[in-house]
Amino acid sequence: MSATQELGVQALAGKYPDVPKSIILKLDLQRRGIAFTEATADATSQPYYRGPEQTAFSSKETTTRPFPGPLLLRDGTSVLASPVKGQFSDPYTIDFLDGKFFVFDKGERIDEVDFSPRPEFYGKLTSRGVPMESIAWSRPQRLDIYPYRYCHYWDTRDQCRFCAFFTDLKQQKQLAGDSYAKVVHPEDIYETVREALKEPGRFSQINLTAGTDYSGDVPFEKEVERYVEVLQAIGRNFRTRRFPSQLIAPAYSKQQVKRLYEETGLTSYCPDIEVWDKELFKWICPGKEKWFGRDYWIRSAVDAVEIFGKGNVYTNFVAGVEFAQPNGFTSMDQALDSNFEACEYFAKNGVIYLSLVWTPWKGTGLGGQKQPPLEYYVRLVRGLVEIRNHYGLASDNDDFKHCGNHGDSDLERLN
Amino acid sequence: MSKFPEELIELLNDPATSKIVGTTDEDGTPHLVAKGSLTTFDQETIVFAEGFEGTQSNKNLVRSIWFDRKVSVNITRGLSSYQIKGRPYKYLINGSTFRKMIDRARARRGPEADIAGVWVIVPEEIRNESPAYRGKLAGEKRGLFHNHLDVIRRAE
Repeated sequence: MSATQELGVQALAGKYPDVPKSIILKLDLQRRGIAFTEATADATSQPYYRGPEQTAFSSKETTTRPFPGPLLLRDGTSVLASPVKGQFSDPYTIDFLDGKFFVFDKGERIDEVDFSPRPEFYGKLTSRGVPMESIAWSRPQRLDIYPYRYCHYWDTRDQCRFCAFFTDLKQQKQLAGDSYAKVVHPEDIYETVREALKEPGRFSQINLTAGTDYSGDVPFEKEVERYVEVLQAIGRNFRTRRFPSQLIAPAYSKQQVKRLYEETGLTSYCPDIEVWDKELFKWICPGKEKWFGRDYWIRSAVDAVEIFGKGNVYTNFVAGVEFAQPNGFTSMDQALDSNFEACEYFAKNGVIYLSLVWTPWKGTGLGGQKQPPLEYYVRLVRGLVEIRNHYGLASDNDDFKHCGNHGDSDLERLN
Repeated sequence: MSKFPEELIELLNDPATSKIVGTTDEDGTPHLVAKGSLTTFDQETIVFAEGFEGTQSNKNLVRSIWFDRKVSVNITRGLSSYQIKGRPYKYLINGSTFRKMIDRARARRGPEADIAGVWVIVPEEIRNESPAYRGKLAGEKRGLFHNHLDVIRRAE
């Protein structure tokens, strides 16, 4: 890739005047990462912002401290970016000056930002004595729940090579031990959601995801059963049959997907393809290849449209991982062609193919690899939105206020 | 950023005041909507709630904050009228101001009233558009030239 492609936010905003600077900044904040000054760390530990204590396992130095909610840009765009020390070589800095947060790049003040505030259910306990902030996490307008905290791909070392959720097998096994419930009790989830909904206007969607559990007489049957139970428990909180929700899960059979739709109030299903190219999928996602391969994952998403409807099935891909070496692409055009082909295929079939920025976390199989330049992401999000527009698709489940991971869906606000 | 005149603050805080937000769409066509929620909390910025993400007005506001375009607000009650020209500075999707606005919406319109977000507009120009004020300025500038003669005729 040539040096001319290494343009920064300002230059790219000039080169692509139809892409707002805030979206380009978001892409770069995710690509290069963020770091907090001491003043920001102090300010985000105050009651208005204070999030749960979290341990950053993917860092060489293990950090445990309260993390605030996601970053918010002035236009309301939410940005999922972790300020994990030692992860990023050239991060943006978030500083706190005169009562406001600002993002700085190499000493230059770029813009005012904020953080999503602490929701009111944090700090409360379920009737079983479980801290609610260990059951659900708050994004700006979304409640995230992980009902099963273990990924069995790790058992056979078939985890996705970019995965940063469970990057240290030993620590993860410890987490899954006595001190940390692997399976979250549905009643704790029911009570936590009930409490969260008491805060006016705070949440407009519930998202479920978890580590993969392929066990059962029929593969994935236990996992599907668990999700049905959890979604039914959540559903008791609503007076409508369906509630805005998304399940990010493995590729299930049509029968399993149908069961999830018919027996619960779920509105959206998202089996993540992660990377489109056939050979890269095999290499980067060995667990998904084993259970049961790329074609099965694609078919599962497409078949799910018959059940959930056009535009209610998603598949995320880790944008940039297609450049991972030694097997990845070496040119932007190659990678863009591959992703646009995928987007076109899925869009034609009513599925939303959504990008998120690859962070080569240290400790993952691809840790420390070079990411593509920012211009790649700008061209990518423009192209994806253009294709989805053509097919009349809008990513409401994963838009600027619900997820915080997708520069392409952020662009759809003008549609 | 200018502080608002006392009269404007009083108008902004009165629910009976007519409050219109003017934006432009992609090709520059004006789009005007009434915003009953429009007010000020700090006497320096305008805030109002947006009910739905997909409205033409909201898309125009997003376009304005993304591509640095101005918006206009008209505040009128009886013969008092102000125009505020400015730029959208923030769109709030949660936090204390958002909470205040959703609480107000529900107090006014019932417990199921909902808002999608809250726009914060930073004024760049505040114009008193009240007829008496504009008439006085016009008179100072062009004398009697624009008056209809019947207005100044001697009473019988």
